[in-house]
Amino acid sequence: MSGTYSGGVTTQIRGSVAREPRSLPVRGMASGVRGAWWYTVSAIVFFELVVVLTWTGTLLQGGVPIVAAGAVAVGGALWCVSTLPLLSAYRHRTGDPATVQWRSVLVPIVIAVGYGVLAFALSGSWLLLVVPAAQSVQLLDWPRAVRTRMVLAVTALLACLWVIDANGVVSASSGSANGYLATGFLSAALPLMTVLSLWWWDVLIALDRARVSEARLAATQERLSLATDVHDLQGHHLQVVALQLELTERLLQGDDHSAALEQLQAARVSVDEARQGTRDLATRFRSVPLRDELANARDLLRAAGIAAETVVDSNADDAPASVFGPVIRETTTNVLRHGGGRHTTLRLARSGDLWRYEITNDTDAAVDTPGSHQVIPGRERTGLDGLARRAKEVGGTLEIVAGEKDFTVIVTVPVSEVSTR
Amino acid sequence: MTDASTKIRVLIADDEGMIRSALAALLRLEGDIDVIAECSDGEEAVEAAERLKPDVCLLDLEMPGLDGVEVAERLGRTVTTRFVIVTRHARPGVLRRALSAGVAGFLPKSRDAGEVAAVIRQVAAGARYIDPEIAADALSDERCPLTNRELDVLRLGSNGATTAQVARALSLAPGTVRNHISAILTKLSVDTRQQAAIMARERGWI
Repeated sequence: MSGTYSGGVTTQIRGSVAREPRSLPVRGMASGVRGAWWYTVSAIVFFELVVVLTWTGTLLQGGVPIVAAGAVAVGGALWCVSTLPLLSAYRHRTGDPATVQWRSVLVPIVIAVGYGVLAFALSGSWLLLVVPAAQSVQLLDWPRAVRTRMVLAVTALLACLWVIDANGVVSASSGSANGYLATGFLSAALPLMTVLSLWWWDVLIALDRARVSEARLAATQERLSLATDVHDLQGHHLQVVALQLELTERLLQGDDHSAALEQLQAARVSVDEARQGTRDLATRFRSVPLRDELANARDLLRAAGIAAETVVDSNADDAPASVFGPVIRETTTNVLRHGGGRHTTLRLARSGDLWRYEITNDTDAAVDTPGSHQVIPGRERTGLDGLARRAKEVGGTLEIVAGEKDFTVIVTVPVSEVSTR
Repeated sequence: MTDASTKIRVLIADDEGMIRSALAALLRLEGDIDVIAECSDGEEAVEAAERLKPDVCLLDLEMPGLDGVEVAERLGRTVTTRFVIVTRHARPGVLRRALSAGVAGFLPKSRDAGEVAAVIRQVAAGARYIDPEIAADALSDERCPLTNRELDVLRLGSNGATTAQVARALSLAPGTVRNHISAILTKLSVDTRQQAAIMARERGWI
């Protein structure tokens, strides 16, 4: 890498380094795992509903009155709904115990306990008494070790209750323990299945975080290699400057003032080259989508007290950034610099097979006194000329319309002509 | 030599002594600029500007205590003066903050004294000057994915306020604040509020 500019011609690297988007997937996670979350929730709730239905079925088979079985079914549905807030709280947990909303947790737990008592009163089954509360408690945000121990203990307890039920109430009422096999198994397995599902969800989150960290690590490594490049560049230029100053010293000792002055000017040029080269290195990966750039422009103009509007196509990020990026920067800077106008509108849209960027600002004659914005004379004009050249290279045009009260710059670039971004 | 009354009276504030004195010496060589004060930090600059009422304040962005933009914000309320901010490296969001504070000029430290003098003249005449390099940097800032409400929550929370305090300050329910926090953590892919606050501050969002 360092070979590119070790000759000191810093302008070379400006064009040749490919502009890659910075990889900081800040918004990546939300959409990426949302689907997985709904899958997890529906699996857990579906499992709960299946358990409630098998209870109802078993009770009906066992000769329990229809009203009682119906109450178990309806109460079960209510209990299933009550687990949704718990699941939602699980997803949005912040890992900080202080932020747990005890009130919203307590209500679903009370519902679960209440439903268990109701179902026990109607059926006499110990499993029905314990399962709802046991399941709801699994959905709370426990530390991992606590959760593992708890789910194992709960599963063992439920297995015992299953045996007790199978030998007790159920066999007494229905006369066959066989029908209870499926119900008992599903009930006892419910908390374990739930914990496994939540564990799976946590794994997904961890993977997603890892993906983000990996991207950040890549960016960090890029920065490290950048540091090396900066070091090489600075070292080279400092050496040149040191030599030029040493020569100046000698020339002054020999009273050759004009040659000394020449060397001093050369040293200043070297310093400026080093600065520009450093900046180019530091900013070579800085590129944002055009829509973001336009939004930034709007924010800046508004901060400067100019009423700014943007009208941007939703697919504007597909427009050639290599052309429009510099155009947006230059024209926005010009509007900011004048400070005369009160309104600015920026437009970027596709019309037919042309990308068209347009920026209009009103000009305020009172502030726009002649020469007031000529800090570096002709610089602005040169800027627009450069942009026009660049647009022409890709088959586009740059048009300046200076009206009586407004000033407009329009840049069009054909869609098909541009393959590089 | 221009008459003293028509000279532009300039205050310079920069915590780096070498740069400050060199720039002051170079500006004094310009016939129409009079450097009336050299300050080494923000507090001193505020005090001197209120006393001397300069035409233009040339403020370094990075100073201990008050930074250049904070000096401009504070002085903007009490003194009629124009502000030019110079910086070595403009952090994201700082140009927006400076423009909101009414800063008229913004340029990198690498500009030579002749250009700085030209900017001082232009700003003293009532115009605004934003250096193209600074503007280009500001335009390629990463957009903030958070909503204004989420930024409020993060800002208050980063000052050490509890969830309940944040909720009270913003007239929101504590549950809503918690939902905002959860959304912030998701959008920024971080684990804690502190990390989110650090990230947001680094990028100039809060």
